[in-house]
Amino acid sequence: MPETSSYYHIAYAIALGIYAVYGLSLHIRRKRVRAKR
Amino acid sequence: MKISWLPTVAAVAVIGTVIRAAYFTPLEALQGGAQKIFYIHVPAAWVAFLAFGLVAIASGVYLWLRDPRLDRFAESSAEVGVIFTTVVLITGPLWAKPIWGAWWAWWDVRLVSTLFLWFIYVAYIVLRGAVESAELRARYSAVLGILGALLIPFVHLSVYLFATMHPKPIIGKPDRPSLPNEMLLTFLIALFSFTLLYVAFVRSRYQYAEERDAAATKADFDA
Repeated sequence: MPETSSYYHIAYAIALGIYAVYGLSLHIRRKRVRAKR
Repeated sequence: MKISWLPTVAAVAVIGTVIRAAYFTPLEALQGGAQKIFYIHVPAAWVAFLAFGLVAIASGVYLWLRDPRLDRFAESSAEVGVIFTTVVLITGPLWAKPIWGAWWAWWDVRLVSTLFLWFIYVAYIVLRGAVESAELRARYSAVLGILGALLIPFVHLSVYLFATMHPKPIIGKPDRPSLPNEMLLTFLIALFSFTLLYVAFVRSRYQYAEERDAAATKADFDA
C-alpha cells in the first residue's frame, strides 16, 4: 500500500480551514451590518 | 454572548466526521491514505450541486413571483455553493497527484467542467456586485443562476460521456453502492454533516442579506 496519508492530512486541513474562514467572514459581515443599523 | 445552535451543531458534526474518517475508517488497500480525501471531496461536490440546483429553483420561482426573499436565498446559496466548489477543486488535485501522478488534466471533461461551473457562479457573484438597481440585479442574476445550473447534469454525466481519468460514481449510480459497510457509513455521515453545514451557512448568509437590505432601506429613508 502506498504511503499517501500526507495528501489527505493537507486536504482535510485546507477544507476545514476554508469552511472556518468562511464561517468567520459571515459572522464578521453580520456584526458590521448590525453596527450600521 | 449568544451561541447559535445550528452552526454549532454543524461544526461539531463536521469535526466528528473528520475524526471518524481519519482515525476510525479503514485504509483502502490500493490507494492508502489518499482515498480518505473521498470523504470530504464527494460530499463537497454533492453540496455544490445541491446549492446551485436550489439557486436555479429559487431563481425560477423569483422570476414568476418577484419575491425578494427568493432572490436573497439564491444569492446566499450561490455564495455557499462557490465555497464548496472551491473545496472540490482543491481536494481533487490533492487526491489526483498521488494516484494519477498529476495534479490536473486539462483534457479531462469532469475536471474542466467543474472549473467552469465554479467560474459561472463566481461571475454570478460579481454580476450582483456590479448592478446597482435591486430589481435589475435580481432579474439578471436569476437568469444566470438558472443557466449555470444547466451545467450540473453535464458535470455529473461527463464521466460516462467522455474518456476521463476521474472515477465513475460509486454511490450515485443505479446499482448498489460499491463500498464496504464501514466506509459507506463514514461516507453517509459525511454527506449528512456537510449538508447540515450548507444549511447553517445559507441560513446565516440569508440573515446577513436580510439585515443588509433592512439597513439599506433605513439609510434611503433617512436620506
